[in-house]
Amino acid sequence: MTATATMTAAASMNANAKLRLTDVTKRFQVRGAPDTVAVDNLTLDVRQGEFLVIVGPSGCGKTTVLNMLAGLDTPSSGTVAIDERVITAPGPDRGVMFQDYALYPWQTVWGNVEFGLRYGPAGNGLDDKARQERVRRTIDLVGLKGAERKYPNQLSGGMRQRTALARLMANEPDVLLMDEPLAALDAQTRIILQDELLRIWGQDRPAAERRTVVFITHAIDEAVFLADRIAVMTTHPGRLKAVIDVPLARPRGDATRALPEFQALTQHIWSLIRDEAYRATVA
Amino acid sequence: MARDSTWSRWGTGLVLPLVLLLTWEAIGAMLQSPRTPVPTKIIAAAGVLIASGDLPLAILQSLGRVFGGLMVAVAIALPLGLAMGNSRAVERNVDPVVETFRPIAAIAILPLAILWLGTGTAAAVMIVAYAAFFPLIVNTVAGAKNVHPTLLQAAATMGLSRFTIIRTVVIPAALPSIFVGLRIALAVGWTAIVAAELAVGAKAGGGGSGGIGQMMFIFYAYSIELNRIIVCMIAVGLIALVLDRGLRALMRASMPWVKS
Repeated sequence: MTATATMTAAASMNANAKLRLTDVTKRFQVRGAPDTVAVDNLTLDVRQGEFLVIVGPSGCGKTTVLNMLAGLDTPSSGTVAIDERVITAPGPDRGVMFQDYALYPWQTVWGNVEFGLRYGPAGNGLDDKARQERVRRTIDLVGLKGAERKYPNQLSGGMRQRTALARLMANEPDVLLMDEPLAALDAQTRIILQDELLRIWGQDRPAAERRTVVFITHAIDEAVFLADRIAVMTTHPGRLKAVIDVPLARPRGDATRALPEFQALTQHIWSLIRDEAYRATVA
Repeated sequence: MARDSTWSRWGTGLVLPLVLLLTWEAIGAMLQSPRTPVPTKIIAAAGVLIASGDLPLAILQSLGRVFGGLMVAVAIALPLGLAMGNSRAVERNVDPVVETFRPIAAIAILPLAILWLGTGTAAAVMIVAYAAFFPLIVNTVAGAKNVHPTLLQAAATMGLSRFTIIRTVVIPAALPSIFVGLRIALAVGWTAIVAAELAVGAKAGGGGSGGIGQMMFIFYAYSIELNRIIVCMIAVGLIALVLDRGLRALMRASMPWVKS
């Protein structure tokens, strides 16, 4: 299994990498206990315009990987780079969508979507009118028209998720980092928003015009539905077990979920992490 | 039906207070002492004090001092509290100083205030500012430190500078907590002003110009009018209630996102 991972990772090194993790290890110090190794010697490239999904059981270090890409966390050893530049801090070139959405409760939907453009560098060079137009367009894109003046606590889970997505998209970052953004939603809303997410990401457009996405989930079917490639991680310590290509055609929709290949891939990935998932449940 | 039950509930609740008031009135009538306040005389005294304008003037004077002191406290505690909440170094240096002074009651600094600032408004304002400072700073620090971490991270990933994050994330996130501090500050400030005016402003010439505390001092020390002192006490309580309700209304109006 380790061989598979190494081979796949090595092969992807040749592709034009937007994000590159090289021999990344992250240890957390715990007082009065040996260090916890959250991520162990991980090497992985994310290609320009690619939708990469990291899947794995809880505790496999996938959020840590995302935080290091965001610059919210730094590796204990190894490097994390964007466009060959080492990442040391957060930056507006990498937008993050948090698992809890991190919406500002005192801002309306409009205010939240406008936030980065208004107070951050993403809005540099935009006059008031251009900024309003961008916010307008993004709110329409995610289907929040009519909810502009509502506060987050007046929204359903799905609408909060859309607001967070709109805030992320409005800043037009090069890379979208998404930490289990659909985890808190009920099953039906989740399927609808998976479709929406691919539409907003631009699966109808040519690959060159798409943004690079790193998406984290523990749901295997979600990973298969969304991803160009899936990085499967295992836990204790967090290691890359395999990187799997998802050759399903785009645009994807309900028909995709019914394909035998879809089922087969889901089964295959489940077989890779099943033993460990069982162990985690029993333990 | 509903009206009946409302009436009967009110009626039942009024029985004990009425009995107590009547008993009080009866005892007062029996004693016939100038040192025994009685309800009917208190109501009469309130009428006189309000009609003459003395009570409203004294209240205005005291309110002015409370708001003045509160402004001074806000001007110092808010920036300092935000700095403490956002910087470990600042907090480590300032917190021990704040916590050392905090148990020292506002009234305990009265002698200093009088020696430094005389017996006028300045000293009264200083006492209110001192009293109001502590609840304000403690709650501002707590509010600034308890901002949900992903709210700060989200702002950082959008490329906001540290100062902008304080302005656009920390302050609004801390606002409910700051308002709690403000409510407590207003209450302790109002408490402190009455105590301070008992001593400060003794040379102000009496009447309403010395504030409500001074007015009570005069009724106590010179004219011995207990009914009027009781009127002042009731006024202090009612005004505190009105101020707090007003502040809460302001809080709701300025924070429409907080569910009430």
